[in-house]
Amino acid sequence: MLSTLLAASLAGSCAAWPLGRLLGRRGAGWGLALVPAGLFAAFLGFGPQVAAGRTVTERLAWVPSLGVDFALRLDGFAYLFCLLVTGVGALVVVYAGAYFAERTASDRARFLALLLLFMTAMLGAVLADDLLLLFLFWEMTSVVSFLLIGFDGGSPSARRSALMSLRVTAGGGLALLAAVLLVGASLGTYSVAEAVARAPELARGPWAVPILGGILVGAFTKSAQFPFHFWLPNAMQAPTPASAYLHSATMVKLGVYLLARFEPLVGAVRGGRDVVIGVALATMLVGAFQAIRAENYKAVLAYSTVASLGILVMLVGLDGPMASVAAVGFLLAHALYKATLFFCAGTVIHATGLTKLRQLGGLGRLLPVTAAASLLASLSMAGLPPFLGFVSKEFLFEAQIESSWEAAPMAVAVLVNAVIVGVAGVVTLRPFFLGRGRVREVKHREVPGLLVGPVALALLGLVISLEPAWFDRTVLRPAVAAVYGAPVDVQVGLWHGVTPMLLLSAVVVGVGTLLFVYWVPIHRRLRAETLLDRVEAEHGYEALLRGIEAAAAGVARRVQRADLRAQLATVVAAACAFVGWGLLAAGVVPRVPAEPLAVRAGAAVAGAVGLGGAAAAARAPPLLGALLGTGLVGLVAALLFLTNGAPDLALTQFAVESLLVVLLTAALLALPLAAPPTRARAARGRDAALATALAAVCFVAVLDMSAAEPRTAVADFFGARSYTEAFGRNVVNVILVDFRGFDTLGETTVIALAAVIAWSLLGPRGRAADGGDAPDPPARPGPFVLRFATPAFYWLLAVLSAVVLLRGHNEIGGGFVGGLTAALAFAVVALAYGVGRARGRLRWHPLALAGTGLLLAVASGLPGLAAHGDYLRHLWIDAEVLGVAVKQGTTLLFDLGVYLAVLGAVLAFLFGLSREAER
Amino acid sequence: MIGEALRAGVAVWPVVVPLAAAALALLLRGRPALQRGVMEGALALTLAAVAALLGRVAGGGRVVMAFGGWGAPVGITFVADALSALLATTAGMVALAVAIFARADVRARRRRAGFDPLFLGMLAAVNGAFLTGDLFNLYVWFELMLVTALGLLTLDRRPAQVDGALRYAAMSMTGATCMLLGIGLLYGVAGTLDMGDLSAALAGRPPSVAVTAASYLLLAGLALKAGVFPLFFWLPASYHTAPIGVAAALAGLLTKAAFYACLRVLVTVLGVGTAAAAVPGVPPLLALLAAATMLVSVLAAIAQVDVRRLLAFHVMGQVAYLVMGLSLATAAGAAAAVVYTVHTMLVQTGLFLGAGAIARAGRGYDLRLLGGLIREHPVFAALFAALALSISGIPPLSGFWAKALVVDAAFRSAAPWRGWLAAAALVTGFLTLYSMSTLWTRAFQRPRRREGGAAHRIPTAMVVAVGLMAACTVGLGVAIEPVVRISRVAAAELMAGPAQGGGAP
Amino acid sequence: MSVLLALAAAGLAGCGLYMILSRHVVRMVLGLSLLGTAVNLMLFQAGRVRTAQPPLIREGAVRLGESADPVPQALVLTAIVIGFALTVILAALALRAFRGEGTLRSDELRAARALGDPLAPEPGRDR
Repeated sequence: MLSTLLAASLAGSCAAWPLGRLLGRRGAGWGLALVPAGLFAAFLGFGPQVAAGRTVTERLAWVPSLGVDFALRLDGFAYLFCLLVTGVGALVVVYAGAYFAERTASDRARFLALLLLFMTAMLGAVLADDLLLLFLFWEMTSVVSFLLIGFDGGSPSARRSALMSLRVTAGGGLALLAAVLLVGASLGTYSVAEAVARAPELARGPWAVPILGGILVGAFTKSAQFPFHFWLPNAMQAPTPASAYLHSATMVKLGVYLLARFEPLVGAVRGGRDVVIGVALATMLVGAFQAIRAENYKAVLAYSTVASLGILVMLVGLDGPMASVAAVGFLLAHALYKATLFFCAGTVIHATGLTKLRQLGGLGRLLPVTAAASLLASLSMAGLPPFLGFVSKEFLFEAQIESSWEAAPMAVAVLVNAVIVGVAGVVTLRPFFLGRGRVREVKHREVPGLLVGPVALALLGLVISLEPAWFDRTVLRPAVAAVYGAPVDVQVGLWHGVTPMLLLSAVVVGVGTLLFVYWVPIHRRLRAETLLDRVEAEHGYEALLRGIEAAAAGVARRVQRADLRAQLATVVAAACAFVGWGLLAAGVVPRVPAEPLAVRAGAAVAGAVGLGGAAAAARAPPLLGALLGTGLVGLVAALLFLTNGAPDLALTQFAVESLLVVLLTAALLALPLAAPPTRARAARGRDAALATALAAVCFVAVLDMSAAEPRTAVADFFGARSYTEAFGRNVVNVILVDFRGFDTLGETTVIALAAVIAWSLLGPRGRAADGGDAPDPPARPGPFVLRFATPAFYWLLAVLSAVVLLRGHNEIGGGFVGGLTAALAFAVVALAYGVGRARGRLRWHPLALAGTGLLLAVASGLPGLAAHGDYLRHLWIDAEVLGVAVKQGTTLLFDLGVYLAVLGAVLAFLFGLSREAER
Repeated sequence: MIGEALRAGVAVWPVVVPLAAAALALLLRGRPALQRGVMEGALALTLAAVAALLGRVAGGGRVVMAFGGWGAPVGITFVADALSALLATTAGMVALAVAIFARADVRARRRRAGFDPLFLGMLAAVNGAFLTGDLFNLYVWFELMLVTALGLLTLDRRPAQVDGALRYAAMSMTGATCMLLGIGLLYGVAGTLDMGDLSAALAGRPPSVAVTAASYLLLAGLALKAGVFPLFFWLPASYHTAPIGVAAALAGLLTKAAFYACLRVLVTVLGVGTAAAAVPGVPPLLALLAAATMLVSVLAAIAQVDVRRLLAFHVMGQVAYLVMGLSLATAAGAAAAVVYTVHTMLVQTGLFLGAGAIARAGRGYDLRLLGGLIREHPVFAALFAALALSISGIPPLSGFWAKALVVDAAFRSAAPWRGWLAAAALVTGFLTLYSMSTLWTRAFQRPRRREGGAAHRIPTAMVVAVGLMAACTVGLGVAIEPVVRISRVAAAELMAGPAQGGGAP
Repeated sequence: MSVLLALAAAGLAGCGLYMILSRHVVRMVLGLSLLGTAVNLMLFQAGRVRTAQPPLIREGAVRLGESADPVPQALVLTAIVIGFALTVILAALALRAFRGEGTLRSDELRAARALGDPLAPEPGRDR
């Protein structure tokens, strides 16, 4: 049932957008008000159950793995809120419909939809019996209120206020989230009721202070407690119906709701009550002072709301049953009269276009019904009998007398209540009854839509106190019982004889009246006091924002303005530091291989030459020197491979190195060769130090690795099965095409796609060139020697590449080397006659070659998959061709694919670079 | 028989299909429409394959494919377990959104420059990285990711793109070199490359210099690719220059694949977080890196005025949460990181695609000039808001669950610094909200600064693509349970030790 | 022999890094290539250097006799080709960058940094 209501509320708010447009100017408000009104009626139906002290619960598993339920629970306290949220909600929607009558249908519908969405969030928050669910709706109120406050996005102050309220309340929400998660981690449940019941357990646990702190920060931000209160007055940028709803009756009360729920925890943690009451007193004082100082109609109301919220929080902090009674009573009374006053303020501002109290006066005759409603509400606010405000104030003082607290809160409460009395006078008497003639005409008369809300709420504040039986039984007692944890016997009555509370009330009204009489001088005096402005908490917020922005700018400058060189150095330094940290943490020392230091002279010479080449490359000022040095290193590496049992590697390295030199030379032809030093001496020193560090890490690690006993199971397996099962004698090639063929496939893709990139990066690019069909420069005759030797070289290399490809499985070679060799053949032609001739020889587009190769390689794995269920499992055929036994497998297909891809890619590089260089 | 082969190959289709299609698209060079058809068809098939794979392994258990029939540890195996299948499926969704977006964003010119084969190659590489059970094979896929990313980055050949790609390439190659060195050292010690076999071989050993150095070099290489402070410079140097659809794909796929590899290598291979950890000292280092990355990235994001740059910094800020989950060295932390990965892949992609749509409507990425888009594009504004709120961790969106899970895992861990880490995470959450709310307000709410009247139309394909990602984050927010359950299975499998491949040597 | 190879490889790596840290892009590319070669040598070393016998199964034999470890060789081969592809891409990028911005100094290549730079006084006008 509860979830159905919630779903209905959500559905209503979603439907409100289209419906609000359809219903038109007059109908939108009244029509959409049916949603909250219907919900209100439905909640009234729960009255008997609630009065009987029962709670209605519903629990659906939501995220069972986390123990999160979609759990709803309606007890007396939640019931009070539900009635308030839906009841006031209905009136607000009606009011908003009239308030937005002149706006576009789209704006009106959007606003009403947001209001209803907000109502859904509020209902969910007070009904939730799962802390995460509660948090969900809690944040939803923040987000929707952001949209409502910033509804008029065109105004900078509206945007600023919306952002401010979002940041404060959602930021506080994060603290609440931490608390919620800690409760879950401590108790193993997210149930609100259970968490409250087990508050003493929480208070004894290790996380007691963070949990309470998180809840308090969440509640304080939401309920605009000092020092987070500043967002509330700023939020008055919202259209007034939103202010009436969010900032008097509902959203700001959510923090109080949470605090009241977790009152047992506040009491159980040492110092909890002190903090709550201290913050509340500060809030009350700040709110009261600022209310006197404020000039804007809505601002006065907002600051008096801040003060009232302080009173509420104080009541939650006080101990004793009367504190709960007073909290519930005041919560209701405040919601009723403050919403009314906001409505009235909205009507006045709407009708006059004026926002300052000073400018207003004599509206009683122009807006008589509004004036009457405002008067009723003000009387309640002032705490005069027979209004609900009087009753709640009696409770308030009784709670304070009963509680174990000292006189300070009492004194503050008296003072602040007196200010509230004064404010009550100012916001009603000033605009409506004094200063006659200050406003002579209004833009529009009172319309029903603008009257229903204030009148109904104002009368309710009177009706409840005059006829309290139903209210007492159904709302007050269950709510108090839910908050206090046990039934409390309360009597709502206007006359209890001459009690201390009555005397205090009299004092308050007396002081308040004085305040009202001397309002103007006091107001002026306080306004002149700029000290109060300077210590405003808002400045703290502004300073925080400035701090964040400054820190952000500083970080951004460091992160994105840095030199590539500095960034690379940081990366390598970090990697070295990681290794250093790891070695420290592991506490290990390097081992040295236990082998004779017999060094083959040839190898030593090769190594020395290689190092020399590297050093030369590193130090050489001209680029060509560096290039040749690098090439030399490659050749030496090839030599080292060759002399250490890796002819395949040597061949590949040799081919790659030659091609690289050819290709880079082609690139360098287009670049300036002079490359003056780019580093200062000190920078070079630092770089050398870093290079040494990296070299040391490499050296130590490789040495230690060499000292470990090698495990050769995998290598031995390859050695043993290479011929018998994969039918190849060249184990390296068998690994490449069969045992680890998939690596090769990936690498083939890398090189094929690299060709795509090179092709798209290099050379001219017009519509034609995109397809790769740009005309190449005409063939030119090369030097005589080259021309003489080229045909021979070409054919030699071409044949060699085929041989290398075909014999690779058993002898040195394979697809890679074959492809590279074939590419070398074309490179020779290109060198001799220019790229045009080479492309003419090729006939195919290099990318087509690469694509074909890749496709072939990918496809060669499919027969095995079809036959044996293993991709890249090669199939073999034994055949006798012309009397020669031929054993061939899909490996050849694979190798051919690799060959073509490599050939195509290298040619794409070659042609692309040459095209670019010759431009 | 064909059906049998289809089923048998379920673990390899996610790689083989896009690879074959990439080759095909390469051959269809110069015919953009056909290329697109091939790409979209292959994408659909890939998506079907990963979904089937996920269905097969969701409840635990794994699908193992031994290439060439050579089982682990000698051959290369694909080991699809809950983790890899979940992430591959998410990657498929990301690719789908990008492909839809590309219909409006990638014109014939970009397709001729090779968008389709490169994009397919990247998808294959990402899926390969997710699925492979072999360390060196993992390296190969990372190189393919790098190459394709470079190609996609420079599709338009603008100077900024070339410059960005150059920086990207230089730093990524340095990282890849670290990785390769680490892999080589591990092979030198353990004589195997299969992750499961490696894990078994390393488990019993006393710590040594070679293994420690290898582990930390691998960590450095992968952290670089994942975008972790202080190795992340390549990312803000390049992402904002890419064509926006490409940036979306990169943001959604690459750093996450790198994080996945971190998870595999650190937990499965090196046993971090299990009783048999082969190297000490990883969790505190990761915790430090996570906290630093979070705060630095989100602060840097706040300073940005270019939507792309802003989002690029958030990519790293979000990755930090993944690293944080991993740094806790608990099953809950790993599970949380997995959920977060799924969330962030979808949402980052959605945000970048959204940025593309914003730029299309407002003619630029500069927040100082944008504004007022909510008037003409209220639906798009709502979609983008959902994504922005999701990344800020607001319920009921996927980002909320992800963030809550990570913080919760921190609270439940035994790490002495758990409170600080959680606090850093929450502060970052606040700053993320700060940044995203500013972005949204500026781009949508504020009146337009740029002269020239109303906002331009946003192509439907773009809205659909953004909407797909927004729907994912909302859908996951409402029904996160399956993902949580799969991630728990995944974490349990990770922690349980070596992923056993097929046959034996 | 191990010590010598390790020394040579580590020295190469150091030289490579020293070149990478240059602000000249071509030098950086060459440095990366050098670093790649160094790492390849270390990878090769992972199979231990014991013999000059290549891993070829002799005619008549069915299994591999005493020879170098073939696995690292296959890995190095793959790494060489990938490194080659990347080096060429880098060279192409460098060339393209020079065409675009007229410089090869990484600190003078500003196109990426200038795009949407928040610290620039004026809003950028891209697209």
